[in-house]
Amino acid sequence: MAENRTPILRLDKICKSFGGVVTAKDVTFCVYPGEIKGLIGPNGAGKTTMMNMISGIYTADSGDVYFNEKKITDKPDYARARMGIGRTFQTPRFLQRSSVRDNLMIGADLGNKIGYLSGFFGRKSTNFYQELKEMMDILHFSFNWDDDINSLPFGQRKLLEIVRSLLSHPKVILVDEPAAGLNNKEIEYLMDILRMAAKKMNIGVLVIEHSMDMIMDLCETIAVLNFGELIADGTPAEISNNTAVIEAYLGREDDD
Amino acid sequence: MRDNLNTTRRTIIKFGVLLVAVVAFYFLVSTLCTSLYTMMVVDIALIYSLIAYSVSVLLGMGGELSFAGVSFMGGGAFLLANLTTGRLGPTLSPVVSFLLIIPVFIVIAFIIGLILLRLKGTFFTFATIGLVQMTFAIYNNYKPLFGGADGIAGIPTTEIFGTKLMNYNDWFPVLLILAVVVGLIVERIRTTPMGRSLAACRDNETAARVLGVNVYMTKVLAFTIAGVLSAMAGGLYAMLTKFVSADMFTYASSTKYIIMAMLGGVQSTVGAFLGAFIVQVLPQILSAFEGFLQLFWGIAIVLLMVFMPEGLAGIVKSLGRKFRAKNKKKVAAAAAAATEEGVK
Ligand SMILES: Nc1ncnc2c1ncn2[C@@H]1O[C@H](COP(=O)(O)OP(=O)(O)OP(=O)(O)O)[C@@H](O)[C@H]1O
Ligand SMILES: [Mg+2]
Repeated sequence: MAENRTPILRLDKICKSFGGVVTAKDVTFCVYPGEIKGLIGPNGAGKTTMMNMISGIYTADSGDVYFNEKKITDKPDYARARMGIGRTFQTPRFLQRSSVRDNLMIGADLGNKIGYLSGFFGRKSTNFYQELKEMMDILHFSFNWDDDINSLPFGQRKLLEIVRSLLSHPKVILVDEPAAGLNNKEIEYLMDILRMAAKKMNIGVLVIEHSMDMIMDLCETIAVLNFGELIADGTPAEISNNTAVIEAYLGREDDD
Repeated sequence: MRDNLNTTRRTIIKFGVLLVAVVAFYFLVSTLCTSLYTMMVVDIALIYSLIAYSVSVLLGMGGELSFAGVSFMGGGAFLLANLTTGRLGPTLSPVVSFLLIIPVFIVIAFIIGLILLRLKGTFFTFATIGLVQMTFAIYNNYKPLFGGADGIAGIPTTEIFGTKLMNYNDWFPVLLILAVVVGLIVERIRTTPMGRSLAACRDNETAARVLGVNVYMTKVLAFTIAGVLSAMAGGLYAMLTKFVSADMFTYASSTKYIIMAMLGGVQSTVGAFLGAFIVQVLPQILSAFEGFLQLFWGIAIVLLMVFMPEGLAGIVKSLGRKFRAKNKKKVAAAAAAATEEGVK
């Protein structure tokens, strides 16, 4: 469907193993701007590891990562973030003993693309408060600026981690299991904000999630990993009828 | 989210409070410290506050414990002593020499930071202890530059804008203004991208990286700022006492500066300032118990770390939080009561 456009993110034959454990084997797929793509697979399939290689936290054993068709395989993690690769984690990672404000500002800092020195003198270029207000309207909760980040419930913290990343104006955002620990209402708002990111901000969204209902509802395309191997890549309808996928999930369940 | 307005109002209030506090402090010290000796104690505490700030930048914001403060303090002090006494050839005025310390130590601290911060955590800390031992040995033994065990005396009286700072009384307002201005700069760093990036490096390096923070360089920068602050403190010390010798820059004295910052609270600029004062002034007040002072600091630190790792500033902060929470409850209760009445 979107194949005639340039992908914002392209993986080319990525391989990675830890000792004897193969977590990626010739994995190739793309994410397009404005597209929400699911990355699914049984536990330990190598989904988080794949995101880590895209963000540059891990380096791939072989294969290349392209951002906007520019090879970034050798770029360090922080440089990739500055190019526009955003990220959230399975368990949210925030500054401890810090206010909600500081924790969100650091996202805006990245979006502002200003150095420490100009930051010291107070230069800003993004419309932080306006953007934040729009996102909080979607998420339906509010907070006190000066509250300690850890005083917020887990679900809200997970949602705020997405907000923090979006405040940095990424071109791609990698979202690792955002729905885990969220209640039904929060999951709805979560889907709303991811859709907003894709449709309004034209961000390519790559989302790992175990909840099939959510993935089928949210994603335009889905990539399936099993033991580090890409066993399917297609629309939700294609994926749910794919025999390899069904086998991978059923086979795994027998093992558990 | 009318935060913009609130922030400006809060900033104005903060500055007002600060101004009042500084003026009050000035008059308090001026009336209480009647002898030159007590004034000297206060002046030195003000100089130490710069080093306590440097600990706050590197440890409080960046999470890296460095003992190297005394190495840079010594470096700044000896550079100033050499330049003002003409030992290197030309003789410069104390103020010019002091201003020279800043660029020189930006370069030196940056290079040392580049090397030492290749190491992580505890290894970095140990390396800074090594640095302190090295610099002490050099300061203590290399006579041509550091005067050996005798040190360097005869640093001329400092003159600013045509006024000679003849004694400790004259120095007091100058040092107070410096300590406040540097404190404001440090506080500003804390609340701008650099401070937030450092906090991210401290709390979660991975998160920092995916937020575009170059962890290594950010820490090197913090190390550089800390080094320059310490070197400035050293220069001021030399200007104030007109004498520098190596025995001020030992490992033992470096622990004193860490204690200052820990006691006051490494997360807080005001805390660092107060910590410097407590550690410097209390021994003078309790001089009768001198033998027990080390014991006192030891117990104070252990208790603080167990119950309040954020130091005295942390105690104030948590009291403030409790107070606000109580207030909030009261307001909520009042609101609830009001709505109930409305329903009736
Ligand atoms: N740093 C590491 N060192 C060694 N092994 C690792 C490392 N990171 C991941 N692995 C291994 O790689 C495999 C894939 O892990 P990964 O976290 O990518 O799985 P996942 O698909 O995200 O699973 P889950 O759904 O449980 O989050 C696992 O077997 C894991 O133990
Ligand atoms: Mg995972």
